[in-house]
Amino acid sequence: MPGNVLVVAEHWNGQPESVTLQLLTKGRELADAMGVALEVLVVGHHIASVAEALRNRGADTIFMADEVALARAACGLQAEVAVAALQEIAPALTLVGYTLVGMELGPAIATRLGITAMTNCVNVEWLDGEIVVTRPVYDGALHARIILDKGAPALAALQKGSTPTLPAAPRDTVVHPLTIDVSAMPARGEVLQLIEEPISDIDITKAEIIVSAGRGVGDPSKLPMIEACAKALGGLMGCSRPLVDQGWLPRERQVGASGKTVTPKVYIACGISGASQHLAGMSEAKMIVAINKDADAPIFQVAHYGIVGDLFEIVPELTAQASKG
Amino acid sequence: MKILVCCKAVPGAVTEVAVETQGNVLRYRSPFQSMNECDEYAIEEALVLKRQYGGEIIALTMGGISTQEILYTAAAKGADKIVRVDAVVQDPAATSIVLAAALKTLGADLILTGTQSRDSLSSFVGVATAQRLGVSFAFAVTAIEKDGEGAVKVRKELGGGRSADVRLPLPALVCIQTGIQPLNYTPPARLMRARQQRPQSITLADLGLTQDDIAPKGYRIASVARPVRSGQAQMLAGTAEETVRQLLSKIAEVR
Repeated sequence: MPGNVLVVAEHWNGQPESVTLQLLTKGRELADAMGVALEVLVVGHHIASVAEALRNRGADTIFMADEVALARAACGLQAEVAVAALQEIAPALTLVGYTLVGMELGPAIATRLGITAMTNCVNVEWLDGEIVVTRPVYDGALHARIILDKGAPALAALQKGSTPTLPAAPRDTVVHPLTIDVSAMPARGEVLQLIEEPISDIDITKAEIIVSAGRGVGDPSKLPMIEACAKALGGLMGCSRPLVDQGWLPRERQVGASGKTVTPKVYIACGISGASQHLAGMSEAKMIVAINKDADAPIFQVAHYGIVGDLFEIVPELTAQASKG
Repeated sequence: MKILVCCKAVPGAVTEVAVETQGNVLRYRSPFQSMNECDEYAIEEALVLKRQYGGEIIALTMGGISTQEILYTAAAKGADKIVRVDAVVQDPAATSIVLAAALKTLGADLILTGTQSRDSLSSFVGVATAQRLGVSFAFAVTAIEKDGEGAVKVRKELGGGRSADVRLPLPALVCIQTGIQPLNYTPPARLMRARQQRPQSITLADLGLTQDDIAPKGYRIASVARPVRSGQAQMLAGTAEETVRQLLSKIAEVR
């Protein structure tokens, strides 16, 4: 009998993360196509509320590995517990998020299980009896389509935002607690504290319009031009990670996997190439506009409207016309 | 503290990308190779740790002879020793096999890597290597300090403005997040001097590995191509004034 499709849940403060709900949408689609069941694995401590929130989200079974030892465990032990669970469940395909958490857990699990792993996937499909993944290579300029060996268990890490979230729908979901002996597992680290960034004065997640600056702005002296444009449109300025890394802007402005996830009505990406980490934070904006001099920039693949041109010409013009109202 | 930094030579702009006949290797042309940017941050952090705690820095790469260039960059920045494993491997799992074997031979208290390479974009090799070595690890780390003898305390990002402080027993492998330190400019004169440093070369045979051990397994690449546009991106063209006028009317529709 072929194995099922399994989603490894991510959770925070007793609630599942949005990426997990997205993975369940994709997982349901794959499980239906393959004619198998969809399972979820929740690893952690005090996770009953996570399992409860994942009911009626498309899964047939929720496996819970609830261990006291996991309360302060580093990823090493979490991975060991997940590996023990997956050895018992034996899914055909394991899905994790290509998030900072999944980037740590996914490779750790796949390596210990000795299974094929495909990370940074924008799509996973079941075609003619084979699992086919699509993932970017070479800075995202190209996409590779990769066919996994038939019948071999595999793990795929999917980009956040690559699948929509389905609304909850009634389903008979069975919750199945697992008993895993952690006593012999090496701890390999301990979480000392969890930190949540305090809410700052500038909250780009609340903005209806975001004008975001990327590496293409060239140097920090050009940022007032972007901010003026955001202001003229009644929005806020955001940015991509490299600008924060270089100290040009504070982290509260950062959009992307490691920064904020934003869903404004309008997102204008200025000189942002569109690395997957950035797309993860803004792909669900209602309208995405990309201004970039490179017509091949990956950002144009998610944009609704594209302008190939000089942002130093376009942005001031946009400010001027928007100010006129 | 003995710090080992794994760094990768990555191609600049690639052209003529094609799937090789066996189906799991990509062939391409590229005018130049440079050090993967994420790995540069790992080097910068190693330099800061050495200044603080003393010890030595070994820069390790894997690839053909041309990848030696990035080791000179590492030496110019301050690596004490440079090592190249003479093997050309693209597959991330196979890469972790080779690196784990090399790290076992070289030994280190702290192993630093970047979070992602710009060609493969996998974010896989660092953690996979740690797992093969059976050492503690953390991903997307933005700060490292010693925590008594035999351990480090790291701060790692969890995404969405969250992070965690984690104590890791040594030896540990830490994947460095971008921005942990500023990237420093390397003067050409130092780069010239660094070229006099002779890299240690290790072969697969030295590590007890064969080509078969590092053959990509479990998949075949069907195609590699420019992504198909989802069809929704409408390009706005004309003078700046015309383009912006069109754009503002589109914005007005959704507000």
